Amino acid sequence: MSGEILLETREVSKRFGNFVALKSASIAVTAGKVIGFVGSNGAGKSTLIKVITGAHAPSSGSVHVRGKEVHKADPALMRALGVACIYQHSSLVATLSVIENVFLGREMRGRLGLVSHKAQRVQLQEIMDDFGIHVDPDVLVSTLTPVKQKEVEILKALVANADVILMDEPTAWLSLSEVSNLHTTIRKLTAANKGVVYISHVLDEVFQICDDITILRDGTMAWTGPEADIDRPKLVNLMVGEALGEASRAAVTSERRPRGTGTVKLATDKLSKQGVFHDVTFEVNAGEILCFAGLIGSRRSEVVKCLFGDDKPTSGTIISKGGVKTFGSPAEAIANGICLVPEDRHTEGLCLSHTTFENTVIPSLVEVTNRGVLMRKDMDAMCTRQITSLNILPPDPAKVVGQMSGGNQQKVLLGKWIEKDPEVLILDEPTVGVDVGAKAEIYAIIRKLRDEGAAVIVVSSDLEEVMTIADRILVFSNGEITTEFDAGEVTNDLLIHAIGGGESA
Amino acid sequence: MISKIAARVPNGGLIAFFVVMTLFFCFFARNFATATNVENILVGYSFIAIVALGQMFPIMARGIDLSIGSILALAGMVVFDAILIFELPGWIAIILAIAAATLAGTLNGLFIVILSLQPFVATLATLAGYRGLVYAISGRQLYPELATTPLRDPSLAWFNEYYDVGAWFGLDAFITTPWIPASFLVLLVVMVFLYVLLAKTPYGTALKATGGNKEAARLAGLRVRMIEVSAYAMSGFLAGIAAVLLVARLTTSTEALGIGMELTAIAAAVIGGTRLLGGQGNVLGPVLGAFFLGVVLIGLTLMGISQFVQQMLTGAILLAAVGYDAIRRGAGQ
Repeated sequence: MSGEILLETREVSKRFGNFVALKSASIAVTAGKVIGFVGSNGAGKSTLIKVITGAHAPSSGSVHVRGKEVHKADPALMRALGVACIYQHSSLVATLSVIENVFLGREMRGRLGLVSHKAQRVQLQEIMDDFGIHVDPDVLVSTLTPVKQKEVEILKALVANADVILMDEPTAWLSLSEVSNLHTTIRKLTAANKGVVYISHVLDEVFQICDDITILRDGTMAWTGPEADIDRPKLVNLMVGEALGEASRAAVTSERRPRGTGTVKLATDKLSKQGVFHDVTFEVNAGEILCFAGLIGSRRSEVVKCLFGDDKPTSGTIISKGGVKTFGSPAEAIANGICLVPEDRHTEGLCLSHTTFENTVIPSLVEVTNRGVLMRKDMDAMCTRQITSLNILPPDPAKVVGQMSGGNQQKVLLGKWIEKDPEVLILDEPTVGVDVGAKAEIYAIIRKLRDEGAAVIVVSSDLEEVMTIADRILVFSNGEITTEFDAGEVTNDLLIHAIGGGESA
Repeated sequence: MISKIAARVPNGGLIAFFVVMTLFFCFFARNFATATNVENILVGYSFIAIVALGQMFPIMARGIDLSIGSILALAGMVVFDAILIFELPGWIAIILAIAAATLAGTLNGLFIVILSLQPFVATLATLAGYRGLVYAISGRQLYPELATTPLRDPSLAWFNEYYDVGAWFGLDAFITTPWIPASFLVLLVVMVFLYVLLAKTPYGTALKATGGNKEAARLAGLRVRMIEVSAYAMSGFLAGIAAVLLVARLTTSTEALGIGMELTAIAAAVIGGTRLLGGQGNVLGPVLGAFFLGVVLIGLTLMGISQFVQQMLTGAILLAAVGYDAIRRGAGQ
């Protein structure tokens, strides 16, 4: 029945020792509606999700499913009651097929207790037809695009009879068109009277898809109500506070400096890699931020990998410091003043089980070594400098980075490269999964590096981000540069058109 | 103050357990608390501690070296051949043996890096391969008449000396076991060397980073392939030193030297708190682990417990050490 309250928390608080992570939060998930949770990292979103999924027992207050109080915090019980959660990082087994994943742990049994593949197939087909989600059941999950994988996770939740589906940062790795596909799927879920909780840092999406919005800040509910009752500036202010909200708006209107000081720091001439990208010719100047815009899959990451010596182009040249260079390894590119902050901080950027201190010094070991011995004092100074100037939280060099929030992990990653004092800094998707406040801080850091004379290349699939920080924009499509804009003269619509138009070509 | 120090020592739990077990055997095992027995443990487990330290390097790089038992035998046979067949001076034989072991370790690393083999598979293959090589070069097979000739070179004999350390410091009256075997002194030198290497040079940090996240380390400009190879070379190098100690003690070498040694070494490293997931390790851990095994096994022997039970207990200790670590880690999250 539409409008029925499927899940409710009443005055839920959660304390860890003296720390109050969540203070009297009351939310209601309604059948047929999408409720959005927004808030900075550490605002209490994760705690609230964990209470709802049964991973944490509330310190006070209660959780109700269809009006009945749930007395025990137990993930298995909450799943049985129809609450499913789709996490930011895929919880699918990549080496199994779609149907195996969907029924993993809840296989349908036939005679003799053996798995009945036929019954599973029939049920999956029914659900796919009911909800209009179509995925080939027999392909391996690893071969699917990110958005299809999200659909598989949704199917998995539906097979488990979930009525309430939580989605934590579902679009972190999706391209623009994929996001709208996912939103279509979510609409199908609400049409079937499911309740959806949508958690995202991307405010545009929240305004697009959500019926209700709950804003969390410092563990309390700063605001809750229908989406129509709030606008973007108000929401940002409630989320991050007046001062940061101001900074985040100032970031958008900052001065543009296409071509910076005019001194070319890095250039390419018809750089190509057979079958991947071709005839990529551009130059980046000291003191400018050059954005590589485009859809996911437009091969921008592949281009920057070649610039960083991580991959070899098949033809064309890279010109750095006045000469033609071929970088055989990242080490050679670094020696030429080129640094890359990679796209995936988990797999490529950080040693997650190591501390802020260790991660910060890794690229700069040569600088802190004197006659073959590490200078502990220099290393401490280096780490303290980055923690202070980038406002890394918690400000503890011995903190294991795997336990830090996405925004702070990204700052640690930035810090370790800033210490190298790069002439050319390449950032690949620098703010994926980072909250609004930390985003503004990261943009300020990037601008500061630019103002100090660095040439900055930012690869971004986030239009808002491109419009915010770019001085100059190159639009990529299928491994080619299709358009160039000076950031001051381009509008949102123009850029969307350039990116989308490339897709159909 | 004490708790602060304890927090800084990563092996606190193991040290406490070590002390408890030692006290237990002092009371319940006859002849355990005697100078001779302490010397036995020092002599018998110093070389195992060195092999375990070697094993720590591949483990820190998120790999493993199963071939060290065979490398140990290879180095031992080089000593045997060099002294008895080629009649070279002992110190040259020692250098050759350690060089051969280092080369064997380096080869392991090259197989892994160049052929992109899993460390487990590559060193399983060389476990068999190097053992075959030992038989092929065995002086015992080539000159059967030499098989019973003991190795009596003065350079080798040095490793069997005992030093009256207590007297050096004028502490004779306080120290009940004043005699320290040379092999233990070698271990101490190795520990100091490795401590400096791991804690004070960029190499140590680079190795930890490679084990922690190879891709991130590579993109940070570290030469991860070199680092990986070096970890296996180090494992071979230390197995070579251990082989010299062992051969000096046995005054001979056999084709079967060091069979099963990889398991003891891995056990000692893991009991000492080295994470099999890589990226972490410290010099004290494997040494403590090795001597902990030594104390328990010798203690049990003195109590008259059978060999088979001892093996089962070794397994149980390993499980307990790993389990304890996992529980502590789980609680920390």
